[in-house]
Amino acid sequence: MQSRSYRVGVDIGGTFTDLIIVEEGSGAFTVGKVLTTPDDPSQAIEAVLSEALARAGIAPAEIAQLVHGTTLVTNAMIERKGARTALLATAGFRDAVEIGRENRYDLYDLLLENPRPLVPRYLRFDVPERTLADGTVLTALDEQYVERLAGELAAAGVEAVAVAFLHSFTNPAHEQAARAAVGRAAPNMRVSISSDVVPEIREFERTSTTIANVYVQARVERYLRELETRLQRMGVGGNLFLMLSSGGIATVDTAVRYPVRLLESGPAAGALAATAYGQAAGHPNLLSFDMGGTTAKICVIDQGRPLIAHEFEVDRMYRFKKGSGLPITLPVIEMIEIGTGGGSIARVDALGLLKVGPDSSGSVPGPVCYGRGGSEPTVTDADLVLGYLDPAYFLGGRMALDVAGARLAISTRIAAPLGISVEAAAWGIHQIANEHMANAARVHALERGKDPHRFPMFAFGGAGPVHAYRIARALGAPALLAPLGAGVISTVGFLSAPLAFDFVRSWRGQLGALDWAHANTLLREMEAEGASLLEASGVTAGAVRYRREADMRYVGQGHQIRVPLPDGELNDAHLPALQAAFEAVYRELYERLGPPVPVEVINWRVVAAGPEPELQLAVRAENATAEAGDAVKGARPAYFPETGGFTSTPIYDRYRLAPGAQFTGPAIIEERESTVIVGPGARCQIDAQWNLGVDLAS
Amino acid sequence: MVLDPITLEVLWNRLLSVANEQQVALMRTAFSTIVRESQDLACGVFDTRGQMIGQSLTGTPGHINPMATGAKHLLAAYPPATLRPGDVLITNDPWLTAGQVNDFTVLTPVFRGDTIVGYFANCCHSADIGGRVLSAEAHEVYEEGLRVPITKLFDAGEPNHELLKIIRANVRTPDETVGDLYAQASCNAVGARSLLQMMDEFGLDSIDPLADAIIARSEAAMREAIRALPNGRHEHEVWSDGFEEPIKIKVAVTIADEDIYIDFAGSSPQSRRGINVVMNYTHGYASFAMKAAISPDVPHNEGAFRPVHVSAPAGSILNCRPPAAVASRHLIGHFLPGAIFGALAPVLPNRLLAGGADPGWMSIWRGAWPGTENPFMLTVFQLGGMGARAIKDGLNTTGFPSGVAGVPAEVIETLAPLIQHRRELRTDSGGAGAQRGGLGQATELSYRGDGRWSVSAMIDRTRFAAQGFDGGQPGAPGGFYANDLGTLAPKTVVWFAPGSRVHLDPPGGGGYGPPLAREPERVLADVVSGYVSIEAAAREYDVVIHYTGTPAQLVRLPEHYTIDWEATSALRGT
Repeated sequence: MQSRSYRVGVDIGGTFTDLIIVEEGSGAFTVGKVLTTPDDPSQAIEAVLSEALARAGIAPAEIAQLVHGTTLVTNAMIERKGARTALLATAGFRDAVEIGRENRYDLYDLLLENPRPLVPRYLRFDVPERTLADGTVLTALDEQYVERLAGELAAAGVEAVAVAFLHSFTNPAHEQAARAAVGRAAPNMRVSISSDVVPEIREFERTSTTIANVYVQARVERYLRELETRLQRMGVGGNLFLMLSSGGIATVDTAVRYPVRLLESGPAAGALAATAYGQAAGHPNLLSFDMGGTTAKICVIDQGRPLIAHEFEVDRMYRFKKGSGLPITLPVIEMIEIGTGGGSIARVDALGLLKVGPDSSGSVPGPVCYGRGGSEPTVTDADLVLGYLDPAYFLGGRMALDVAGARLAISTRIAAPLGISVEAAAWGIHQIANEHMANAARVHALERGKDPHRFPMFAFGGAGPVHAYRIARALGAPALLAPLGAGVISTVGFLSAPLAFDFVRSWRGQLGALDWAHANTLLREMEAEGASLLEASGVTAGAVRYRREADMRYVGQGHQIRVPLPDGELNDAHLPALQAAFEAVYRELYERLGPPVPVEVINWRVVAAGPEPELQLAVRAENATAEAGDAVKGARPAYFPETGGFTSTPIYDRYRLAPGAQFTGPAIIEERESTVIVGPGARCQIDAQWNLGVDLAS
Repeated sequence: MVLDPITLEVLWNRLLSVANEQQVALMRTAFSTIVRESQDLACGVFDTRGQMIGQSLTGTPGHINPMATGAKHLLAAYPPATLRPGDVLITNDPWLTAGQVNDFTVLTPVFRGDTIVGYFANCCHSADIGGRVLSAEAHEVYEEGLRVPITKLFDAGEPNHELLKIIRANVRTPDETVGDLYAQASCNAVGARSLLQMMDEFGLDSIDPLADAIIARSEAAMREAIRALPNGRHEHEVWSDGFEEPIKIKVAVTIADEDIYIDFAGSSPQSRRGINVVMNYTHGYASFAMKAAISPDVPHNEGAFRPVHVSAPAGSILNCRPPAAVASRHLIGHFLPGAIFGALAPVLPNRLLAGGADPGWMSIWRGAWPGTENPFMLTVFQLGGMGARAIKDGLNTTGFPSGVAGVPAEVIETLAPLIQHRRELRTDSGGAGAQRGGLGQATELSYRGDGRWSVSAMIDRTRFAAQGFDGGQPGAPGGFYANDLGTLAPKTVVWFAPGSRVHLDPPGGGGYGPPLAREPERVLADVVSGYVSIEAAAREYDVVIHYTGTPAQLVRLPEHYTIDWEATSALRGT
């Protein structure tokens, strides 16, 4: 018998932990979903993995690769639950991270707030040392001072230190020496140095990113090592990889060293999954809508690719406005994430207005209907009261929901204070949550100059399909698409990215006056590093692909653009082609060329990647039928204002709807991990990829 | 064409995103720190009649309205019928646009086929325009640099080489000055590209109906906000250091039903030196102040200006006559919102800011690269503290009313042979209050070369502190001095020996509400963070705090400070 081999994707969200296991070759797959275990998140992974392996009859040793994403880093930053962290800065610059950019991110609003650094001022220290812009040293590092400081910090219970000295991206010697000095005086102290985390000019952003890295590092390492141990104990074969914010995947060692790169790694997988499904279904342009228990994530997929940004913000403090968050400099899939999920808590505020979120009941205690001690009504409770969820079929019936509890909570906390019926209150919660998400989606699309009217919505996540129909309507989207397995499908994203490593070397030179020997050496070095890392991760040498790029600009500019470089040895003969390549990219971005001045290269880059994974999911179609009527498994009253309120609505068994099946709303389409709600009159059809398509154009 | 509210919302948001895209392109292609780091700029989109519809999110109020007015002048000089695809218009005439010759306004028509469907314009501050180095020293505008009348920067796509030759020959930073002009043309082209895409996508033949709808709504919303205020006349005055003598800014704000009249009669007369403000600029900051005060969320465009009527006597400091020198006009203009807020304070209790640092500090550094005769010239912005709000402390080192940003030390030191030795929050510079004023900052610079070097510090509030509101105390005034020369003169070129260390310490903001109303715990938190000293806690807030750690320890945690409640009660009489 031929040996079987499986790949696993697993995502830890704020409320649920989702899993997919795909057999290589056949594409047969198994999914799972359990509540997240916030005290030790790897527990939930073990639980869902063991259960799914047992259900599918797969041995742990048959797993060849497990790719993982987690919201751990984002949550630690937003909830300020990282290590007690100090900053060592160049003497005179401990405030760089608080002084920030000095401008107002909104000209007219007088109540703005600036982001609050992760390190309070009393833990930020001036260290005697100074390197100048050309890398020369003005003042030697006072290592004894650093040792003394590190000793005191350790004694004061500080567990982590960020070191960010001026011009370290040009000469990292002082930062490296400071790291060594801290190590001598406080061997258990975690240290991140800015020249290692993000070797780029502009001290505010670099320092902020470095602090974030070390602030979350202990939590991330503890967690990943625990997970590794757990997987070993279970007998899981193969390698553990992590998804990065950029959508690439990396080894555990890289993730532990640069945990800040795991920010938004779960949502990144969701965006990749939407991309893959969109491509397969012939929709290169999509608005990806992923709503889980804690947050909703919205991302524009444009021409078959999610948008990538080079900098983003975590923890926007003021009205979610751009500029009010902590800046993080690293490549990231651009998306908007808002605090609206199934667990978002509904309340009546001091003004007598109904508010939903952003605080969430999470997985513990969870919505009232989970019956785990939650007492405040949530979006999920409202959805249940409205008849959108089946109390007996949540997670395929593995978790019973308490309708009476949900009704009571909504009645006492919302309906009574507002003087309305329970149904009206539940509908109000549902609507307000939808409005938040539609607004966020609109802003995100429009900020990127995209028209939400023209982007079909791709809805997934446990709660996404319950809300997607109304949101897509509010946005004027032409269609709604919900994949089979929508509740866990973001995990497919983990398996659709190749293993890849990014390298960058800062070395500046004008085109026409470049030392090609040095440039070629840099490129070769990076390619060799990439090859050895990939080979260590199981990619054969012949399968490694390289992409070379250079960051270039006109001499005198402050920002650069990324220009593709040819393969092979570079020399003066390439100059006209390089100039032309620069001009082509520049014109594409900025419409016309700059002034007649020379062009320079700032950074040299290599991306080394393994092969694109073949991912074709094979749906096991037992009893499925194109005759939609045969897939109806019952009916229940569900709330639709168009038909006057509670309306008896057919329930379709999603697993029995085969490609070609057609029906018309109102409809409830149930699968184990999620439920699609479709309003009255909307035409639905299952496409060749088993996606449920809802036509909203008519 | 009928625009339903949802389509209007979508199109309006799209226009804003296009203007933001225009601004991003400008900053990313710019050469000077002034534009690429400090955002001393404005970007906007205009309809075919030259009405401003929308602007980018950040930037400076001092450029926005003057750019809007400037667009109309540019189109009067080059009527649309004479324009061809690829044409780009330019001027830096202070009286037609932003009030100093350093500010270039660049305008590009957007052609759809043969038809102009709109315009993009931007206005930004050039690294250098010749003449005297930017200061207040000139007596006439002619000394302040090259004045470019309304002309073409590009003609049917071709650069106006004759103009560029003249500019290059007249300025100290030809690559930066001309590089930024290319960036100004590029970003308009980027805006145009996206506007055309939007029109195709939505099947629009014209954006004028959209402009009318947005402008009408903005005007109506602004009028509604004014109607909510009681009619009446309110006066206030503030003082600037001025140049040779202090300058008074006097304002009377009259609310009359749905219009507001802001009159600056009684302000100082036109100065003999370069701190005079043209009417465009006065109008820019006055209308900005009204919008921030009463309707911050209403889209800012032509409609938002209409109900706000601004006047200042001709020949006064706020409506100067040519050929007055105007280079440092922002040092006066930035006081206007604070003056207007002072007047409106009784009508808008708890909604405004206490006095703040007001003028952004701008310094221009010159000298030679060490070991060469190659000159360098670098412009640096720095911001002091904002005034406190009724419910929040003032923001530290954040500009108001201007929206300019600072320059990272690493960028300063890469572009000039300078060393910034520190840039830190100034302890005790925020005015005491129930809400504390924002802190200013303390900075120190030296030169790496062995020759002479200079700075022109375009700064203010070194004599007149930012005033508190409602019992709040004033912020600390700014400081400008050198280790070897003592206190230095603002707004003029000062020369240094190689070893000088130059200190620029922008001021703090004023407090809001009486300091004794601030909870002792918040005062303690400020002491722990070093925003307020132990001495000032006792002196300003009547809160006695003891440091209980050792004098030698470097790490001083919150637990090393305690409030002496008995002594505090005795002082506070509680």
